[in-house]
Amino acid sequence: MYSWIASSAKRLTAITLVLSAIAAFAFAQEDPDPNSPTPVLISEAASTRAIATDGILKSSDEIAKSGPKAFGLGSRVVLYATNISLLPGEGANAFRVYATDKNGRQYRFPVVDIEQITKGTSGIYALTADLNDEIGYWSAPEQDGDILIQLTWRGLGSNIVRLGLGQVGGNVADAPGSVPTPVGYNGSRISKGSPATPSTPDFVGYRWSGDRMRFLEQATFGPTPALDARIRRIGLRTWLTEQFEAPYPSAANPYPNQPLKPANIGTDPLCDGGADDVPVTCVRDTYSMYQPQIWFFREAFYGDAQLRHRVSWALNQIWVTSGVDVQQGRHMVEYHKVLSKHAFGNFRNLMKDMTLNPAMGGYLDMAISTRTNPNENYAREIMQLFSIGLFMLNQDGTLMLDGNNNPIPTYDQNVVNNLTKVLTGWGFCQTPALCPNLAVGTVNFIDPLLINAGVTTVGNNRHDLTAKTLLTYPGSTTTNVAACTNCTTLPNIETYANNSMNQALDNIFNHPNVGPYIGKILIQQLVTSDPTPAYVGRVAAAFNNNGSGVRGDMKAVIRAILLDPEARGNVKTDPNYGKLREPVLFATNILRNFGVRSADGLSQSDGYLVGRAEFTGMAQTPFLSPTVFNFYPPDYKVPGTTLLGPEFAIMTTGTSIGRTNFVNRFIFSTLQVPSPTSAPVPVSVPNSPNGTTLDFGDLIAISASDATGNLLLDELNNRMLHGTMSPQMKATILPAVTSVVSTDNLGRVRQAIYLVATSSQYQVQR
Amino acid sequence: MKETRRDFLKKSGGCALGMVALATQMHHLGAMSAMAQRVIDSQSAGGDSYKALVLLFWSGGNDGNNMVIPNHSDATVSNYDAYAAARNTQGLAIPQAQLLPISVPRISNLTYGLHPSLGPQTINGTTIVNNGIHELYGLGKLAIVPNVGNLVRPLTKAQYQSSAFQKPYQLFSHSDQVNQAQTSISNTQAFTGWGGKLADRMNTANNPTGLIPMVTSIAGSQLFTAGQTTLPLAIADSNTSLANVLNPAGFGTNPTGSTLARLNAFNALRQQDLSANYIAAASHVTDLAMQANSALQTSQEVTVTFPATSIGRQFKQVARLIKKRLDLNVNRQIFYVQIGGFDTHTSQLTGQVNLFTQFSQAMRAFYDEMVVQGVSNDVTTFTLSDFGRTLNPAGSGATVGSDHAWGNHMFVMGGSVLGGDFYGSLRPDGTGTYFPTLVQGGNDDTDSGTAPRGRWIPTTSVDQYASTFARWFGLSPADQASVFPNLVNFPGTFSQLNFLP
Repeated sequence: MYSWIASSAKRLTAITLVLSAIAAFAFAQEDPDPNSPTPVLISEAASTRAIATDGILKSSDEIAKSGPKAFGLGSRVVLYATNISLLPGEGANAFRVYATDKNGRQYRFPVVDIEQITKGTSGIYALTADLNDEIGYWSAPEQDGDILIQLTWRGLGSNIVRLGLGQVGGNVADAPGSVPTPVGYNGSRISKGSPATPSTPDFVGYRWSGDRMRFLEQATFGPTPALDARIRRIGLRTWLTEQFEAPYPSAANPYPNQPLKPANIGTDPLCDGGADDVPVTCVRDTYSMYQPQIWFFREAFYGDAQLRHRVSWALNQIWVTSGVDVQQGRHMVEYHKVLSKHAFGNFRNLMKDMTLNPAMGGYLDMAISTRTNPNENYAREIMQLFSIGLFMLNQDGTLMLDGNNNPIPTYDQNVVNNLTKVLTGWGFCQTPALCPNLAVGTVNFIDPLLINAGVTTVGNNRHDLTAKTLLTYPGSTTTNVAACTNCTTLPNIETYANNSMNQALDNIFNHPNVGPYIGKILIQQLVTSDPTPAYVGRVAAAFNNNGSGVRGDMKAVIRAILLDPEARGNVKTDPNYGKLREPVLFATNILRNFGVRSADGLSQSDGYLVGRAEFTGMAQTPFLSPTVFNFYPPDYKVPGTTLLGPEFAIMTTGTSIGRTNFVNRFIFSTLQVPSPTSAPVPVSVPNSPNGTTLDFGDLIAISASDATGNLLLDELNNRMLHGTMSPQMKATILPAVTSVVSTDNLGRVRQAIYLVATSSQYQVQR
Repeated sequence: MKETRRDFLKKSGGCALGMVALATQMHHLGAMSAMAQRVIDSQSAGGDSYKALVLLFWSGGNDGNNMVIPNHSDATVSNYDAYAAARNTQGLAIPQAQLLPISVPRISNLTYGLHPSLGPQTINGTTIVNNGIHELYGLGKLAIVPNVGNLVRPLTKAQYQSSAFQKPYQLFSHSDQVNQAQTSISNTQAFTGWGGKLADRMNTANNPTGLIPMVTSIAGSQLFTAGQTTLPLAIADSNTSLANVLNPAGFGTNPTGSTLARLNAFNALRQQDLSANYIAAASHVTDLAMQANSALQTSQEVTVTFPATSIGRQFKQVARLIKKRLDLNVNRQIFYVQIGGFDTHTSQLTGQVNLFTQFSQAMRAFYDEMVVQGVSNDVTTFTLSDFGRTLNPAGSGATVGSDHAWGNHMFVMGGSVLGGDFYGSLRPDGTGTYFPTLVQGGNDDTDSGTAPRGRWIPTTSVDQYASTFARWFGLSPADQASVFPNLVNFPGTFSQLNFLP
């Protein structure tokens, strides 16, 4: 306890020094107010019944003045809303109408049109919604009375009004707190978001404290006081630029430099997995996923290039390879280098380097696919999972439908067969002159795949030389690869194979699906699980053109995702906003929040989480995805709802308790290895996990300063929930905290953190 | 910790729930209005003895072509030579001498063969675990349903090759075919699995005071287990005791003082902020876990030795829960277990030896345990997979494998199973046998032309296969269409496959 307080005092001093230094500089720029206004649905004067009428209005029309009216399923209804401020180009697909029927079943009606009313009271919009549920989870609602309607926009939910379906009336109760909101209603929610916290305004770059923390939850592996201070000083945009240039990985944490695993490892007496190995963990330390895994967590805990690490992790969960199949640590390192290299580069280059990456080549079999024995595994997945998906998309990510309202496949088996042919003949690099990392007796998982690797005669050529067809789509240009006409020498074949591959990758890269498909998954990875089509559309537009005519610029995509008005703001109230923190981010956010360090408290953590049940019990171990479909699929729907919620695929009864047990381990004791009861291993022993613990020193000091526990909870509210802890939540936690005697401040801190960290309110990043 | 579902509901009802919160809360808890519940429960009444279904999913697309193999020389149907002709050159054929023979009454009493790893597993001549599932075929406790697959409607080869006929969406794609097999819906994406939908309709009538959900997965969340009102229990395998499998650490058995205060707050927080749907969903999953945890505290150990493999431990955990069925107040249960690694584009021979050994040994141990528990007639185990694989090998030599295909062979095991035979439908035109014709470019192959791969057009749909279990399980015929909406497209009546009484 003494050491915690001491180290905490040291840190406070350091922060003070940094702050003094900052005061000497002007801030780089001041970012604008991130808070969008909260939309208001207009109701009748004396009830919460929506003002509504049939059909699409012209903007010149006046607001309807009809009495209570019922609407039929399949019809169009015009609702009126105010307190909206649209961006150029922002339209109907930025809005959603949610309906709940008397049985509590939820439906979503698409908004198909928005027009500003130009007559009468200003600032009123007419929104036209189709009364056709676009989710289809429940059968259609019964048309026998009122349903409750809510409008959402940019992560903000409006007031809730009622609408007659089939007939007016029925026994649906108003949502709690609902009041009539007639034209001219001037309730408190007309104000723009929650007020900013104007802390030290003389040199503030980004003053919205809640949104700073939200931004850091989205862009890093967890907020820290230092990062918060940095963003307050320089603002979001400058921080992004700074992160785009930050060296990666950190100088103190280079990529592991593991040797390739010899095929005849069994002949090595000291490192063959036997009990007589020296050290006994030799195989684990030298050849397994262990080194990349602990490297990954060290970088997440302490790395400065947080954004690149986070985006690489997102890409890792799209372009999946897994140690479950190719069980070598080194191949994973080389694979990760490709992800991180192009995380801020161009998506087209990522496609090329990943296609020729030996880990991917081994994982999805392209490295053994030949003219005579083609293997379609990679050809299928690069389209289905890594770039365009299965169905044609509109630019806002919604499904394009044919005349019969059916989705339109992006490709068929014939395209898979042809792309397979294009990609035949590449193998693990095994020509000494061309493969600098070739090591005798190993598979070369370092150098990129090579065409006709090891082939010495044209007769043994492995590449398919026949003509192939490529994807055809609106705007496609070259849709076929001609047969080779001069492939009589190996160099000519190599040229042909390279050109063919590039042609095919260009063909995929330029498919209009890539922007919305990849953009939406990245939004889900960083910000929210079920983004509006408008948000997806803005990100897809950035993918399509970074402003300088370049397609696939990842920096533009990341900026678009993180600076979008749907991402930004102090508080989000759309009931469907946010995402469940996946286990990796759940763990790193908690650990970074509370000074993660080695079990003996003397140095940084070695990053070892992966071998312990407290971590693996949450079902997401980096580099060990169970399949190419990642730990969870991007289109997973929360059971019992219509909501996209990818991470819920690994949120089960079992893993939910696993999460509480992870928290319990770190908050109430230490992650010691090799067993929970063993003494910490000194850090001086190489490659021996020495355990990880947290530092509550600063919180203990806060707790000691306030016996009521309020200050402690206020601090956790800001740090963990960016200020969104409800009064009810605080009132629930406070008595549990004060049930610990006021002299036991560590006990109080543990009690408080445990309850916040295990709460669903924290587990959902919102 | 002893909070019941009813208590929880009562408390929730007292909270100021937002509109959407209420929605989520209600359908998560299955607490729909009386009218809605009646619609779903309609006529699937309970009342009879215990029954359980266990789905073993072969993840990755198992190559059934090397699992059930002709072992005869009758030239009027595909024989061993036809099989070997397609696979021997590249080294993928299983030698005939190794096959474990089975007789098929419904195909002229011809002999077929099972992969050798489905028999006894021995070291130095001693059986180390059990005799595997091959022996159960001879005992009449294992049936085989060949060439099952996802279909929207019966399909001939000519129809398949015409764009005008409706086919399952995204054939040969893992994720889509898995979803279709687990939802029994192949014409459009569905969000609920057929196991979950069975529970939606049968839980109230059969497990009115059940302390855990009707559906349990020992392999994480799976579409099969998700219903509209049903959320499954998902727990770890038998490496963790039932008493610990959902037990939150740190509270002890009888918390007092500040520990009790923490526990109370931990539970209370899950009833707040439910207007945010993701928060409500996360809280509900945890609630379900906490409730089940209370019910699982008394232990029940099994008798038979299960293999120390993942699938062995999964089956063992299922056996423990079945043994506890009376404590848990459940009269109907559905279980999901899974073994992965079947996506054998490469190295299939060694891969399948390993995988077949694992699941055969685990299935047999489970069957034997059910006999010991006296419920072997009440428990039926069956298989599904993403799809079958191409008859034409991928690659050759030591790393030979096979690619994604379609129709595949399935096992059904249990005391009530009318085993020792093949079941299924014939081609829509009535030709062929219950077993596909093993000819690339032949009548059962999707492919024609110069390089046909041998991807079998299924003659029996997953809908027919699945609904046979559902009827045995007690699903009312009146509810059949709501669980298996495309079953009407197939000839015959509900439960037409007849491998169960």
